[in-house]
Amino acid sequence: MWRQLAGPHWRPFTVLAACILLLAALDAGQGAFLSAATAYSTLQIFATVSLVTLGLGLTMMIREFDLSVVGMYGMAGCIAVLTGTEHPWLGFFLALAIGLAAGIAQGFIIVRLNLSSVGVTLGGLLVFVGIAFVLTESRSLPYDNLAVALLLNERFGGIFSIRSVVALAFFASAAMIFAWTRLGRDIIAIGSDRRAAMTTGVKVDALIIGIFAFSGLCAALSGVLLSYSLASASPAGLADVIAPAAAGAILGGISLGGGTGRPLGIAAGALTLAVLRSGLNAVGAPPFVNDIAMGAVLLTVAVLDGPDLARRLIVVRRLARRSPTA
Amino acid sequence: MTKNSAAGTDVAVRAGARTRLDRAPLFAWLQTIGIVILVAVILATPGFLAGPSILALLTTVSFIGCVAIGMTLITISGNIMSFALGATVGVTAMVFILATNRLGFGAGLLVGVIFGSLLTGLQGLLIGSVRANPIIISIAALALIYGVTQVFSEKGTIYADQGTVPALAKGKIAGVPIEFVVFLVSAVIAQFILSATRFGRNLFMVGSSFRAAEAVGVITWRTITGAYLWAGFFTSLAGIMLAIRYDSANMDYGVAYDYDAIAAVLVGGTAIGGGGGSALRTFAGAMVIAAVQVMLLLKGLRQEWQYLAAGLIVLAVIVLQTRGSGR
Repeated sequence: MWRQLAGPHWRPFTVLAACILLLAALDAGQGAFLSAATAYSTLQIFATVSLVTLGLGLTMMIREFDLSVVGMYGMAGCIAVLTGTEHPWLGFFLALAIGLAAGIAQGFIIVRLNLSSVGVTLGGLLVFVGIAFVLTESRSLPYDNLAVALLLNERFGGIFSIRSVVALAFFASAAMIFAWTRLGRDIIAIGSDRRAAMTTGVKVDALIIGIFAFSGLCAALSGVLLSYSLASASPAGLADVIAPAAAGAILGGISLGGGTGRPLGIAAGALTLAVLRSGLNAVGAPPFVNDIAMGAVLLTVAVLDGPDLARRLIVVRRLARRSPTA
Repeated sequence: MTKNSAAGTDVAVRAGARTRLDRAPLFAWLQTIGIVILVAVILATPGFLAGPSILALLTTVSFIGCVAIGMTLITISGNIMSFALGATVGVTAMVFILATNRLGFGAGLLVGVIFGSLLTGLQGLLIGSVRANPIIISIAALALIYGVTQVFSEKGTIYADQGTVPALAKGKIAGVPIEFVVFLVSAVIAQFILSATRFGRNLFMVGSSFRAAEAVGVITWRTITGAYLWAGFFTSLAGIMLAIRYDSANMDYGVAYDYDAIAAVLVGGTAIGGGGGSALRTFAGAMVIAAVQVMLLLKGLRQEWQYLAAGLIVLAVIVLQTRGSGR
């Protein structure tokens, strides 16, 4: 059973449980961590980055990397705040449509021109950031429809808000589609071996475009929800999302070589980071602990995932064996 | 990303390998001609050659430019880009100010340069030795650098003590800001490393085909670590120059430099897939982006349009340049 819990399929959940246990132990029965308030703030943090993590994670699953999510996240928030004061739904759908369209455009360029996704989405990122600056004239914009902001963050059921429920629902539907339709298998197939997938009749190009579209949509949705609920949007302030998103995806069992992972795992990964952040906050750890923990996790996973690690370890071991005799 | 091996076969299937060799020099020439025309248009813009605007341009472009020179080496080595160079600029500036306040200007310079080089070189060692994913390593380094600096700098900004930084370091050499001289010299040094040393030749080999380089006996981890060490060296110059200019250091100094730097690298024509490029062309790329931005400003467009222009230039260059040259 232990081997299974540490295996790739269940590892995200094991890590999540371990984090919760660790924080509960740190809290030592003071009730600051295991409380409805912490659960609520955990879910709020989860709602802020988890959808970006899902989009980015899916692109990593097919061995691509969507850098543009950072730019889309900020730009969508600015668009929604600019257009959605009178009619919140208008801003919401406009931003989502732009996210979707931009994702499709990038996917199309990548597939048709056979380009590196890092390069194309880097261009996309810079363009989106530029558009956000132009639209907002480099200012931070207030969102005057405070009713929407309050509604989105209103606490119900003790721990939920509309924002976190939207994120959870998105994950639930993604998980169901992934588990019960061909789509999930096809995506894994593309990530494992693109040529083999093509040979077996998977519509590789269409799926790649679809995943970039989905990634754009996810980033736009999180950006809009965050800007609405903070009642402001700024072209630069939201940029700090790539590190948690990549960390969440990797914690969620996405291997850097592609071809592994599933939405539920990504949810667990994003939730782990959210638990760490709100939990460390609740037990009174200074804010930098969170950055350091996240960096350390990413570094460890990246090294452990390195294809040449085994080779280097053999060399190290051989040297260690030789040194006593020499 | 990590798809060099699989993508190679993809390219052969989809595009036909022939175009790779034939078109690459053609595109390089087209790009060079395009840049020359662009520069001509820019120079013809009224007010551009007036003193203040061009001096401001030369100073601001130098900070990002030094980072871009460092980024060029990383890109050529086949590791795309680093997201940690901007943070390295900020933290090097801090280390430089701290060391200068304690040990004096000369020692501060040395400590700053060594610190920046080692910080980035360490990432290169991890990437080179176990072939860890360069993007993820750099994001991890970014988070770690910001986390650790928060521990040490609660107030945010560190100031240099009065009189520790000699006024000479802020001056001009023959009317040219000293920052720009450093940038130019950096580009020349990097170009020398790339085209006249064995390390440089190995770097191009590792970047264009990791496995082939390994097969002909290049010690790949040493080459990649070297590329990152030099990248850290040039990046630390940017941090130190910023600290000298403002007599202080702050982690905000390098924010977004990573993106500006990779933009300059790509506009200069260095291939994002690695294995080709030059430091002097990155120099030209940085100058072109900066010049376009100043031109937009002179034409009365608000500053925000500069960001958009830079983004569109990069997107266009990526789409045009990498066409037919695979991933």
